[in-house]
Amino acid sequence: MTCDGSSWEGRYWRRRCFVICLIILPLLFAGPRSVIAEEPIAGTSQFKVLTEQFCAECHSVDQAVEADLDLSQLSLDDLRKDAEATRRIMDVIEQREMPPEDAPQLSDQQRLQFLEELRAVFRQAIAHGGSGERTSIRRMNRFQYNNAVVDLFDLRCTVFTLPERAMRVHRNYFQPETGKMPEQVAVGNRPLGKSQMIEPRLAGVAAFPQDLRAEHGYDNRADHLSLSPMLMDELLKLGRSITQSPDFHPKQVGIWKSFFAKPSVDQDLGPVVRERLRRFLTRAFRRPADESLVDRYSSFVLSMIASGSDFPEAMKAAAAATISSPRFLYLYEGGSDQSSESSRSVSDFELATRLSFFLWGSAPDDTLLSLAESEQLHDDEVLNEQIDRLLRDRKLKRFCDQFPAQWLQLDRIVSSVPNRERFPSFYFSKYRSSMHMMMEPLLLFETVLIEDLPITQLIDSDFTYRSKKLSQSYAWLAEDGSNIKSTGGGVTVLNFQRIPVSDRRVGGVITNAAVMTMTSGPDRTQPITRGAWIASVIFNDPPEPPPADVPPLPEQPLVGEENLTIRERLAAHRERADCRGCHEQIDPLGFALENYDPVGHWRTEDEQGNTIDPSGQLFREYAFNDVVEFKDAILADPDRFCRAFAGHLMSFALARELGPKDRVALDQITQTVKDDGYKMKTLIRQIILSEPFRTR
Amino acid sequence: MSISRRTFLRGAGGAVLTLPWLESLAVGSEALAAQSTLRMAHFYVPIGVVRRGFFPGEQDDVIPKGNLGNVMKSLGKQNPNRNIKPLEQLTPTMQPLESLKTQVNLITGMDRTFQQGTDVHAQCASCYLSSARPYTIEGTAWPLDRTLDHLVADHVGTATPFRTLEFSCNSHRDNKESIYFDNISWYGTGHLAPSIRDPRKMYRRLFSNSEISRSRDITSLVLEDARDLQQELGGSDRKKFEEYFESIRAIEKQMDRLESMKHELSLVDFEEPTEAYLPRGDYIRLMGDLMVTALQTGLTNVATFMVGPERWDTPYMFDGLFDKPRSHHQMSHNQTKMIDDLLKVDQFHMEQFAYLVDKMANVDDGNGESLLDNTLFTYGSGLGDGSTHQYNDLPIVMAGGGKRLKKGQHINLPEGTPLANLWLTQAQVMGVEMKDFADSNGLVTEILS
Repeated sequence: MTCDGSSWEGRYWRRRCFVICLIILPLLFAGPRSVIAEEPIAGTSQFKVLTEQFCAECHSVDQAVEADLDLSQLSLDDLRKDAEATRRIMDVIEQREMPPEDAPQLSDQQRLQFLEELRAVFRQAIAHGGSGERTSIRRMNRFQYNNAVVDLFDLRCTVFTLPERAMRVHRNYFQPETGKMPEQVAVGNRPLGKSQMIEPRLAGVAAFPQDLRAEHGYDNRADHLSLSPMLMDELLKLGRSITQSPDFHPKQVGIWKSFFAKPSVDQDLGPVVRERLRRFLTRAFRRPADESLVDRYSSFVLSMIASGSDFPEAMKAAAAATISSPRFLYLYEGGSDQSSESSRSVSDFELATRLSFFLWGSAPDDTLLSLAESEQLHDDEVLNEQIDRLLRDRKLKRFCDQFPAQWLQLDRIVSSVPNRERFPSFYFSKYRSSMHMMMEPLLLFETVLIEDLPITQLIDSDFTYRSKKLSQSYAWLAEDGSNIKSTGGGVTVLNFQRIPVSDRRVGGVITNAAVMTMTSGPDRTQPITRGAWIASVIFNDPPEPPPADVPPLPEQPLVGEENLTIRERLAAHRERADCRGCHEQIDPLGFALENYDPVGHWRTEDEQGNTIDPSGQLFREYAFNDVVEFKDAILADPDRFCRAFAGHLMSFALARELGPKDRVALDQITQTVKDDGYKMKTLIRQIILSEPFRTR
Repeated sequence: MSISRRTFLRGAGGAVLTLPWLESLAVGSEALAAQSTLRMAHFYVPIGVVRRGFFPGEQDDVIPKGNLGNVMKSLGKQNPNRNIKPLEQLTPTMQPLESLKTQVNLITGMDRTFQQGTDVHAQCASCYLSSARPYTIEGTAWPLDRTLDHLVADHVGTATPFRTLEFSCNSHRDNKESIYFDNISWYGTGHLAPSIRDPRKMYRRLFSNSEISRSRDITSLVLEDARDLQQELGGSDRKKFEEYFESIRAIEKQMDRLESMKHELSLVDFEEPTEAYLPRGDYIRLMGDLMVTALQTGLTNVATFMVGPERWDTPYMFDGLFDKPRSHHQMSHNQTKMIDDLLKVDQFHMEQFAYLVDKMANVDDGNGESLLDNTLFTYGSGLGDGSTHQYNDLPIVMAGGGKRLKKGQHINLPEGTPLANLWLTQAQVMGVEMKDFADSNGLVTEILS
């Protein structure tokens, strides 16, 4: 089971491409190298000297199979054309992933010199690379579609109930305008709770399939959202079934009076229909409706009326067409691929769309559209005001419905089934404690956002939210756990109470019961899965898959190994150099969490009765002896976490993978956020103000 | 389980759907009326098979230990040379085909190429019917081109309501894997032909189309929007946006053709599936019955069928095999411990294939031929073994094709024969004029009569 599990096998294909580039590039540029003269960078280049001294043993032609990367053929000129490759080498040097632990190490001065040289090359590579990545045209995903339809018609109910919106609001706790999360909140767990999928919605409307999250990415990624005849068929039917639903009536539809209701008799129908459609189509399509568009839709409506349909029916048909139109279904930015530098800025309408889909998971409202129309939105002051407004609006809940659960990969807990005999308390009546566990990190995230707390709280919070049921999962915290009474625990509405956290073994998104459970198997913890989760989620640096012919760690200890701890068994397992590089990074991350059993309870001994040793070193720099010191180690370099987290947010905001050019923006964002105490809203604001967000 | 459905299907060769009915379906194509339509179906098995149980001569080979990550080659030795023998003694995993062995070919020695750049499982299913030459497809890490089923459907799917149909027996409710793990059918790179997992949904897609024509009026309106929009897009976006037009066109045709089949479809006696939980075998066979019915009635000529999703290590029940939910993927990585269980899973999947082969053999397709005679129906996995994650020496069983094909053989192809050669051969048998496909370098002439 060692190398099992998707998170472990999963990876970022770009990283492989980087390797490929490194292998192919030297060949490509072998010829014209004399033409492109080696440009000396201030002082003598140390790159060749240092790579030969410290890297060549593994990273050369003969060893390429083992190391997957040949540095002997690689010159700075090659790197000047490949920002991603340069960045990657910088990363491993900066993060002390290379050279490996048992190899001769660079001195501090050599390291700095090496990095400085690479940084200069990186800047050149960026300049060489042109405009960088752009987000391509994409269909709305199911979640965005739901929200955009609700907003367009101002529906009093939802279109579909979606399990991907894991945490349901009860009793209206979510009030970002107050800047404060209530002490007590009532929530529901849609995928795991009882009857939580029952909520007011349009009868007779069937949801289309959920759009799946990209590996190490989000479910809004352009390259994962395409259209098929089957889905098109569903979307066409959906447009009709929404507008024909028995629940689609004046009381449920906020825009009924201004759009669907028959105008008074003395009005000339033509102009009324045109005016209504102009406003409606502008909102639906997020850009000004031109004359020919309005003509088309209004003649459609008028001809229906002429052939006997009543007014609301004709308008409903136009509305059904509107929400089946590609202009509604697709998110896109106009213009050619190779735009000049000046025209790369997104238009105000496009900016409004980006902004609202980022923070509201939906189309822009009238305020944003009118600011776009008057070409004010790109003004920094106006944009800042709007960011404030969006962050205080209750529609912010939709951001909280998407980003945190996907960032933390929390859907994985839906299928966690710890061994019932060993962990009976995980199960209650017909349910699983995971129903309560899953809410804890989500509530923490919402609080950090609404209260604009430092993002370091996500690692090590001094508060949390717990239900009574969830407190049982943390009974080990009490001196005498027996005083926590076993309560039935809610299964529909779950009441959570904010409590201070003084024991730093809990708190934050890592060491909570949900994450500890979902990164374990039914019978034992999976330190590598946990390590890979931390590498991907917390440091935004997913591990590569295991290299060739890895000797696996058997499910049960081998003869003679029965008394070894899992750490000792794994150490034997990674004696090979090609395993070590990766495992030296991810194993300590997972071992640091070995004190949490498969359902997140604290333990000091493993299954074999050996004392657990969680100690290790983070990035071969920060030593820690226990999980509290591990959190200290993460926070010893808050910029690293800030940058990683900003990368997750930006990738979500832009609906694409990030490229080298975006990394420059991430560095700037990190600096600004740091100067403002790592505040969450500052981070979101800086992402929106950044160049990648405002250019195509 | 619906008795009437079963009864109908058991006797499906007979009463309900007979030749005259089929003839009337030859909508707009005279060729169809003259000779039987040839169909194609692919039955995909995820995560490879236990080699010892499947491949003749490998029964004593070493059992892969744990997850052999990227070994990506066989641990044992295969015959590297061409070898053709009658298919006589079946291996344990092949046993369910005992009574059908004269109607199938076992094909061994076929290889694919893995393109560095994605997870090893991510290409297993997604690129199984494509196998593009590595690094020839731009802008993606997957060697994924328009898949065989769509290329064939471009030729034989032009007159059916559905060009193709995609089935997946994936009952997972957690969505832990991406689209690359649940689909073998792609219109092209990054353009998914999504599979249907829910038998009720498939049923409604096939048989309840009363609503479809009502959306017609709005289609023409939105098509205008689409044409305008296209003008505003840059080159690469414009290309991507083609999918919108393709979808609309496909639906237009689908509406026309379903309309003309209305009467015939009303005669199909297939009870609408209920929401009740189905044991895994029943679920797979229900999906299979839907596929056979769709091929039989001419709703489509091309179908793909995934008997389970790739990887997705969430456990599910294999009712009747094990007491507890089990993860196929996990078993594949623990063959030293779980080989017997994994063999049961392999055999279980083969039973489902055999059930469908048998079913097609008993459906009368007119001219004294069965549906099986007029279908190329192929069992296969994208991996040769779930532990070694090898893309070579794949398990392939091909059924059907009637007199066009030789059967009852074990064909072992020379080492390094691309799987694409078989796909190319199938495409040509299907009447597609194609000189090469993906990384093919020849034909598998051994199957041709």
